[in-house]
Amino acid sequence: MSVLEVRDAAVTLDRRVIWQGATFRLERGAVAAVLGPNGAGKSTLLRAVVGLVPLSAGAVSVFGAPPHRGDPRVGYVAQSRAADTLSTMTGRDYVGLGYDGPTVGWRRDRARADVVARALALTGTTTFADRPLRTLSGGQHQRIAIAHATVFRPELLLLDEPLAGLDLAAQAEVVDLINLVRDQTGAAVLVVAHDLNPLAPIVDRVVWIARGHVRCGSPDDVVNEATLSELYGHPIEIVHTARGRRVIVGLDEEFAHPHPHGHVHENEDPHAHLDEVYDEVTR
Amino acid sequence: MSLTTLLGFSFVQNAIYAVTAVSLAAGAVGYFVVLRRQAFAAHAIGHIGFAGAAGAVLLGLAPVAGLLVFCLGAGLVIGLAGASLDDRDAVVGVTLTAALGLGVLFISLYSGYANATYSILFGQILGVTTGDVWLVAGLSAAVLLTVSLVYRPLLFVSVDAQSAAVRGVSPMAYSVLFMSLLALTTVVAIQIVGVLLVFALLVAPAATAAALTGRPARALVLAMALALASSWIGLALAIWIGGPTSFWITALASLAYLGARVRSRVGQVHGQRVAA
Repeated sequence: MSVLEVRDAAVTLDRRVIWQGATFRLERGAVAAVLGPNGAGKSTLLRAVVGLVPLSAGAVSVFGAPPHRGDPRVGYVAQSRAADTLSTMTGRDYVGLGYDGPTVGWRRDRARADVVARALALTGTTTFADRPLRTLSGGQHQRIAIAHATVFRPELLLLDEPLAGLDLAAQAEVVDLINLVRDQTGAAVLVVAHDLNPLAPIVDRVVWIARGHVRCGSPDDVVNEATLSELYGHPIEIVHTARGRRVIVGLDEEFAHPHPHGHVHENEDPHAHLDEVYDEVTR
Repeated sequence: MSLTTLLGFSFVQNAIYAVTAVSLAAGAVGYFVVLRRQAFAAHAIGHIGFAGAAGAVLLGLAPVAGLLVFCLGAGLVIGLAGASLDDRDAVVGVTLTAALGLGVLFISLYSGYANATYSILFGQILGVTTGDVWLVAGLSAAVLLTVSLVYRPLLFVSVDAQSAAVRGVSPMAYSVLFMSLLALTTVVAIQIVGVLLVFALLVAPAATAAALTGRPARALVLAMALALASSWIGLALAIWIGGPTSFWITALASLAYLGARVRSRVGQVHGQRVAA
């Protein structure tokens, strides 16, 4: 049985089809990257998998059953908007909420401290777990968030943009941690990201969402000129650098998904890819 | 006048019981107001309550009846509309404006002496009756009991609504529950410090506590202790020196907040020097 199975699924919000025809499986221990332009519905896919967004067609099954909220086998790290939303709370307190946050009542579980300590140890966050979250770097913050989501050693781990806003060194740390958690727990991992390259060493599957359509397969099956050109509806070029990174040329965010309000929040400089090519060529 | 003589007066006893109950509830609920960044909603509910009290006076009912109806109603509206919306402040603002407009109408229709409205605005701590004490103590106990039961999910949903929702904690349900708790606390706090100064008990001690410690349980208890301390000392100063009790409570709560900010600022500068 697959950990996650999505069959011809579609999501419609406010009468607008966000995406349709999503079909893929995720097996135990596999890592899938969810890629695509801003506003394509990558986070919506994660939210559909945990049952926060209803499907308008098709089906999602998690461990062979429809998704339901509160399943301790599913770990979820939301997109962190700003570190200050969690302000002065310590990492240990926040990870503790992953353990008994949903529990109503006065009873305090004796196992709590041990379970939290184990999650901190697994994620290598013990050294800064007692500092207020707002004093942590973006990478440390993200690692604490992963500790929070892995308190129950989930079998399916969903990460929404864990690399957003991080410098390359911090990105590598978080990718290593995702890999470590996968190895230690055997969890299947679904990661929303902007760029495949930092994740490429650990990714088995790619789910690419653009213009309301979803393609899924191995990285080579999806991230090739023919598939992406078809998905985007115009020619896409892919340059392979000397170090095996893919530089994708022709991804026009506005064209890929015209935004109704013209408000596009962009984390990434589109020219960064070309700078990277230049660096590789001139090195 | 000696302390024993003062404590012998029933109006002093009632005042002490009432501020104790109110301070504990306001400190606890206030911690979540600060955590959830809903100070504007807390402010608005007090003023909306004023319209309710004015309406009750107009109808010849007890002001507290109007307070309860309007505060709980506003809490429900703000809680439902503001659970996930980014324009939560707009919802609060429009609700506030609509209620204040009604308040103006009610006062203009009321031909009697506006003493009752005055005490709603500024509080009337030394005029608290034994009946008021029971009402205030009962509502405060209910609020504290509820907060202690839902402490963990409320904390979870307040700091990380999305993850909490995935784990089965409904942000909408907790938004409505919390706004109801806030409305009840506002109703009791208004009896003591009045609409205009409800912030002194609801937000200032909690903001002070949050500036002093990041540990949620400690901050919650500290907020309650600070609210209690400013009420008790404020009450004592009002009796011995004179002046309105709500002025003293407000002054003490604000000074404590100022002190905490200065302290954490100094701590930060010191910390940076050590780090460098």
